[in-house]
Amino acid sequence: MAMGLPRLVAVAFTLALVSIFPPLPFSLAGEITSIESVPDLQKLMYVAVDGYPCVRLLNLSGEIGCSNPGLSKVVAPLIKLKDVKDLVEPHTVLVTADEMEDFFTRHVPLCSWCLLNISVNKVTFVVSASGANDVLFTRMILVSNDLSFASKIGGVLIESGSSFQQKLKGLSPDKMFPQAEFSPYKNVEYKWNPMASSIMWKAYNFPVYLLSESGITAVQKFLSKKDMKHKTYTSDVAEFNMVMETTKAGTHNSKACLQEGTCLPLGGYSVWSSLPPINVSSSNNRKPIVLTVASMDSASFFRDKSFGADSPISGLVALLGAVDALSRVEGLSNLKKQLDVCILQLVFLVLTGETWGYLGSRRFLHELDLHSDAVADLSDTLIETVLEIGSVGKGLSGGINTFFAHKTRVSSATNMTLDALKIAQDSFASKNIKILSADKTNPGIPPSSTMAFMKKNPQTSAVVLEDFDTKFVNKFYHSHLDDLSNINSSSVVAAASVLARTLYILASDNKDSALGSIHVNASFVEELLACLLSCEPGLSCNLVKDYISPTNTSPGNYAGVMSGEPSSNPYLGSVGDVSRFLWNFLAEKTSVQKGNTTSVCSKGSCSRTDQVCIKAESNKEGTCVVSTTRYVPAYSTRLKYADGAWTILPQNRSDSMGMVDPVWTESNWNTIGLQVYTVQHSAYDNAVLVAGITVTTLAYIGIMVAKSFITKALKQD
Amino acid sequence: MTVAAGIGYALLALGPSLSLFVSVISRKPFLILTLLSSTLVWLVSLIILSGLWRPFLPLKANVWWPYALLVLSSVCFQEALRFLFWKLYMLSTLIHFALLLSSDCYAVLDLKKRLEDVLDSFADRISRPRLFLTDKLQIALAGGLGHGVAHAVFFCLSLLTPAFGPATFYVNRCSKVPFFLVSAIIALAFVTIHTFSMVIAFEGYAKGNKVDQVIVPVIHLSAGMLTLVNFASEGCVIGVPLLYLVASLTLLHCGKMVWQRLIESQNQSGSTLR
Repeated sequence: MAMGLPRLVAVAFTLALVSIFPPLPFSLAGEITSIESVPDLQKLMYVAVDGYPCVRLLNLSGEIGCSNPGLSKVVAPLIKLKDVKDLVEPHTVLVTADEMEDFFTRHVPLCSWCLLNISVNKVTFVVSASGANDVLFTRMILVSNDLSFASKIGGVLIESGSSFQQKLKGLSPDKMFPQAEFSPYKNVEYKWNPMASSIMWKAYNFPVYLLSESGITAVQKFLSKKDMKHKTYTSDVAEFNMVMETTKAGTHNSKACLQEGTCLPLGGYSVWSSLPPINVSSSNNRKPIVLTVASMDSASFFRDKSFGADSPISGLVALLGAVDALSRVEGLSNLKKQLDVCILQLVFLVLTGETWGYLGSRRFLHELDLHSDAVADLSDTLIETVLEIGSVGKGLSGGINTFFAHKTRVSSATNMTLDALKIAQDSFASKNIKILSADKTNPGIPPSSTMAFMKKNPQTSAVVLEDFDTKFVNKFYHSHLDDLSNINSSSVVAAASVLARTLYILASDNKDSALGSIHVNASFVEELLACLLSCEPGLSCNLVKDYISPTNTSPGNYAGVMSGEPSSNPYLGSVGDVSRFLWNFLAEKTSVQKGNTTSVCSKGSCSRTDQVCIKAESNKEGTCVVSTTRYVPAYSTRLKYADGAWTILPQNRSDSMGMVDPVWTESNWNTIGLQVYTVQHSAYDNAVLVAGITVTTLAYIGIMVAKSFITKALKQD
Repeated sequence: MTVAAGIGYALLALGPSLSLFVSVISRKPFLILTLLSSTLVWLVSLIILSGLWRPFLPLKANVWWPYALLVLSSVCFQEALRFLFWKLYMLSTLIHFALLLSSDCYAVLDLKKRLEDVLDSFADRISRPRLFLTDKLQIALAGGLGHGVAHAVFFCLSLLTPAFGPATFYVNRCSKVPFFLVSAIIALAFVTIHTFSMVIAFEGYAKGNKVDQVIVPVIHLSAGMLTLVNFASEGCVIGVPLLYLVASLTLLHCGKMVWQRLIESQNQSGSTLR
């Protein structure tokens, strides 16, 4: 018992030691993240990073965009650009916009990176500031040709917050003259887009990811942990899962991938609506049409972050604001009566796929030629003139909203439009809207859907309303930074107001005092801008939810792919949120009430042929209204859908635009994701294994020794 | 961290147990049964405890005293169960002894007659206490190992699945070593403590030695409380070595106790022969 006492004392002392701890200030430092299960632990280990990928697109001659180079995930240690010069091993360096220029003016030659003893083959570059994009990607253009440098890049993470927008002069990944091959005039070298870098039209053999705000936080947290002591035997890696099916199948152009079924063609559904609805009975009294055109699709380097606020959504919102204003003209029946006696029919057309070879306008014109169902009530009437609303979000300057009217040619129709614009401009008491004619030194109309109309019919009389004259004023044309902060809502309201009055003048040819009563609802325009150009509230705003049940909250104004068979009465699951919203909205605004009865429609069809069923998604039962609103599929005129597959038609001389159409398709993919985690060096792993084996072996030896000792002690008896 | 590291962590936590199992326990089927039943008892105790504590979970992560209370109540419950286990062991020893005897000398007969014979020959057999001693110790060892293995599997091995993947994990409050390594090292310490404290406890109950009886709960409680040190920032730098101090004290005490018993049994058999 006396022997046991020291033991007892020792242990009691330890317990006493422990009991001292309570009074001491226990620093329960660090963040408290409670792990309640193994999946929780895995979530903490593998941090999923939120962002927007750049995907693989294909055309007839090759590929553009980005993807994993092979069939497997790309795992590469994170590196900031900044510290590369200081360290032998590549590290992640964050470069801000103002640092970037200094970095490159110090002439860090491209090849010094390959001269450094870079043992790691693949590194992930994290580039902050979208200003970096421009310079980095200019370098990347060399990269796509310079294989030695390209082999050092495993992946790229772009960090771009809204704070960088002020610092940047401009960034446009598109070309100097976007879609110059569709230009109706010869001067294709004209620089419409001065900020162009053309980076979105190049092919990159590595994944590129734009980090969202939460993604930036996650990556920053990882990079900040680099200060911990264990950095010598761990490294933070980014794992890109962006394997494209076309890479897997080895199909590297549109024709091959459509044959294999590893890609889908770009396209969507355009919407057109007439105000007032076209009376099918009076087929002999079809009036000439004023076609008001806007487009709803934009594009950027990153597939899902292309709001296209100024180009072209500001134009779309102006058109919708004008439709809304015209539908509310005092005494709706008066307007209808007036419009019954008016000289021109108003038709509103919102096109999609315009960024990818004017798919919407080409298909629309093609359907007109074919007299198809989609344009049944239009095909045999004359389109008198076209009025396109392009970018109108940046017209505000010094309190005056200035817009420029670019006309296709001098004709009576264009003069009529220009006169109407002038009268509308003057009708505003506040005199803060100016419509000016475009500079005569311009080679022609700016890149717009009207170019396609002109190519089809060089005699088209059209006016394109834009907020710029000789060059784009949108410094972020087709960039992920062309968002709500890039435009001014009052400029859009002004454009909508002048458009509404112009259309009224054109349609009614009646310059009476009713003009003054046409007002665009500014709060409606602002709400619509927030719905279409932001993720909060995005498409789940009340205005949109009133008409449809959106599948996504964030409006990705990218055209998307054509899934399923194109038809004028498509399965609504394959029609995009914005198209469905536009169809329902335009149908309601251009509708007339015949009598006071409104009937409900539950299955999307109404009893009368001149009626359509609107709001059938958000409410379980829709309403039947008299309206002429249709979907028109938008896809390349070189494509044909048959037997569940797409085929490319041979070139047809009569389709001049089809001859230069690249036929854009988008590769399919399984999943796209990015995660960041810490990896131990293999030496450490092996050391742990050796330690485990050693401990086991030593324990075994110890046990054997004890056993033999005890046995020997017992045998001594 | 890859498969190599995963296997390494598993071996760190359970390698010595595996060695012990292979060299000692696996030789006798009864010891394997003892180990399994002891594992089961320990797991059942955890289930009961978690059931009792469920209304109070999850505990707030930024105060330490609920955890101290949790550890205290768990240790008390488990020590009570240990005593119960010892009682069961007494009963089982008798049966085991009977089986030993029956397998040595007789064919399988009526069990009642066996037990009577057992009691009759008990006096004869007393002259060879050393077999009885090592058997007892082995059973206690198997019991302790069962507790230890259950602890290691529950608190370390069950979390080890992510360790076989490419990523590793560091906890902010113990940022020098990966989480899995710390957990494996702590598990190893507890395996040692559980295994050898069971031997001490059984001897203490059998001999009525108050010191041994008290020291086991004290060791268990202090080991449990020491893990609370890990709550502090970089506390594991102090906590884990202290835990190993307790483990080595346990090992030493147990070794000393076994040595004493061996000497006693030698003296006893020497005096009997005379």
